Amino acid sequence: MENYTVERSKVELTKEDFVSDQMVKWCPGCGDHAILSSVANVFPKIGYRKENFCLVSGIGCSSRFPYYVNTYGFHSIHGRAAAVSSGVKIANPHLSVWMATGDGDSLAIGGNHFIHIIRRNIDINIMLFNNQIYGLTKGQYSPTTPMGSFTKTSPQGTIEHPFNPGELILGAQGTFFARGVDTNPKMMTEIMFEAARHDGTSVVEILQNCVIFADKTHAQITSKDLRDDHQLHLKNGEPMLFGKEKNKGIRMRNSRLEAVEIGKDGITEDDILVHDQYQQDPGLHLMLAKMAPPHLPIALGVIRSAMYPTYDDLVEEQIKYAKENSKIKNMDDLLNSGDTWVIE
Amino acid sequence: MKELRLMKGNEAVAEAAIRAGCDGYFGYPITPQSEVMEYLMYQEPHKTTGMVVLQAESEVAAINMVYGGASCGKRVMTSSSSPGISLKQEGISYIAGAELPCLIVNVVRGGPGLGTIQPAQSDYFQSTKGGGHGDYRLLVLAPASVQEMADFAGLGFELAFKYRNPVLILSDGVIGQMMEKVELQPHQPRFTKEEIKANTPWATYGKTDDRGRNIITSLDLDSHKQEKHVTHLAEKYQAMEENEVRYEEFQTEDAEYLIVAYGSSARISQKAVDIARAKGIKVGLLRPITLFPFPKKPLAKLATQVKGILSVEMSLGQMVEDVKLAVECKIKVEHFGRYGGIIPTPDEVVAALEQKIIGG
Ligand SMILES: Cc1ncc(C[n+]2csc(CCOP(=O)(O)OP(=O)(O)O)c2C)c(N)n1
Ligand code: SF4
Ligand SMILES: [Mg+2]
Repeated sequence: MENYTVERSKVELTKEDFVSDQMVKWCPGCGDHAILSSVANVFPKIGYRKENFCLVSGIGCSSRFPYYVNTYGFHSIHGRAAAVSSGVKIANPHLSVWMATGDGDSLAIGGNHFIHIIRRNIDINIMLFNNQIYGLTKGQYSPTTPMGSFTKTSPQGTIEHPFNPGELILGAQGTFFARGVDTNPKMMTEIMFEAARHDGTSVVEILQNCVIFADKTHAQITSKDLRDDHQLHLKNGEPMLFGKEKNKGIRMRNSRLEAVEIGKDGITEDDILVHDQYQQDPGLHLMLAKMAPPHLPIALGVIRSAMYPTYDDLVEEQIKYAKENSKIKNMDDLLNSGDTWVIE
Repeated sequence: MKELRLMKGNEAVAEAAIRAGCDGYFGYPITPQSEVMEYLMYQEPHKTTGMVVLQAESEVAAINMVYGGASCGKRVMTSSSSPGISLKQEGISYIAGAELPCLIVNVVRGGPGLGTIQPAQSDYFQSTKGGGHGDYRLLVLAPASVQEMADFAGLGFELAFKYRNPVLILSDGVIGQMMEKVELQPHQPRFTKEEIKANTPWATYGKTDDRGRNIITSLDLDSHKQEKHVTHLAEKYQAMEENEVRYEEFQTEDAEYLIVAYGSSARISQKAVDIARAKGIKVGLLRPITLFPFPKKPLAKLATQVKGILSVEMSLGQMVEDVKLAVECKIKVEHFGRYGGIIPTPDEVVAALEQKIIGG
């Protein structure tokens, strides 16, 4: 849509252009530092003018993000970032709107706004920092905390079933869902670039380590000895292979996903599923989003990137239609459109 | 036997709630009151008294869980700090409209907005004048010590059931976070099924043959009926004004000047009174313990004795309006406050008294 494009930068920008002068207040070793670095890497690549980025956040450690990126920023209300971002984007569609939020911010208190921004498919890029804990308030369990975890508010272990964010996002008719880990900045940068290119609401879940209150919560996925077997890096059009030797793969059997070894029991690469992130039907994407160790690897990369009309486009279409079909074409038409009188 | 403990204000209100026979607590973390829920979770009261402690998905969820629990005739409560209390206002208005008892604790921090996590008293208007929509009042208790944090849990439940009305403990970050010696009350059992049936006939405990259908609601589409309902509420608030005013006076007998302050400001002002007295200034302190009902009568009486009143609050000046109304502007009333998370010193209070009231 010509009208709603974000203005491109005339000069080439670098990472340094996006680093703010604010002191970063995250704990040393917090996964948030790596995410910040990835964003500073990806923003110049997107090519927009610095002034046309707007970073909106809720409240939480992750939501301190806007202070640290040298763009316009909005540190809003706990749980409301999705609604605030929607307002920003609708009021000024010429901005590239990015939202930084936590698992508490968007999946607990902000769950309602979060599913509705996705359902509307407003062109906003959401970075969901999933550390499976409330960091800022010092360690209470969140809606993604694994069941049985010991936290400040669950001294005997949580008895709540956690959300799988991907499942929630696709259930809300998400058109873009990707997953990254803070230990792999290169992949994070690629994913964020794709999120930026996607028209509609893009959600990037980042598995982030909170060294203070939920250290090693993602160790099953990120630890050196497990990561090759527990991570599946999805690439569009490529077979879903994983493992150190890339000799393991995902196949579909009896309507279920299954991890198999190539060469074993007569299995060949032809049995392995090929990733299609663009397919409209979310069925397989949902199955991929739900995969988790120990029986299956976790899917990383872009899981779904489907083309659907965005809210922004539909609004513009409505305006265009109204303009074309309205009897009012100019100021005189407008003045004469209602009850008019001639004063004699 | 006396049971003494050294506790934070937030822990004291939690412990006292268990002992007061609380059935359910519903909360959401926020600084500086997260210790209320954390303490409750560590105590595991479900193993001892059967009390349930639940971390909700938001403050809105928590207050509505309270709405549900209260409708069952149970002693239920929630706690939060200012931004979270703002979110609860819708539920509070409905609970007041539906005439259900519950206990709410606000450990106030500075606002507006996200403000600061430091203490403040800037939620006075919200607490005493409404906060949510409609004609309703909360019974508001303002503790000035950890001991009162504990005492007001039991008292709060008692008053809530007496008037079928939400009771708010309006505390602040100082009282919530500081540690003091507390004398704890012995355990009081939770209500039994029989007690609920006998004492709270309005409660949802099931439609039995001897009982009509009962719908808990705050709606009446017939405006005449609604007017009657609100008039009935007004009568309750009137009864609270007559029977529940609580306050404390300190060195007022011979006072020529008066400080009015509640909560942690009252603690600071009490020191200020000592400092001023040492300087030869005859000043006393009136500490409202209930903010609604406000101690209007004792203030009006003191207004015939003192030359001027300084209202001290950690805000831009909210309670000062009630002080002026109580004395009908017959004598000089000024406000002194620090805000945004700054706590005034006793010397600042004395200086303000000298400048604004004695010198002014
Ligand atoms: C209305 C309201 N309720 C509660 C809080 C307190 N609070 C701030 S951040 C937060 C949760 C943070 O967790 P998450 O969103 O997962 O972010 P993280 O700190 O883990 O990055 C809470 C409960 C608040 N600021 N406002
Ligand atoms: S508390 Fe946890 S999430 Fe917050 S900055 Fe520290 S390590 Fe990061
Ligand atoms: Mg978190």
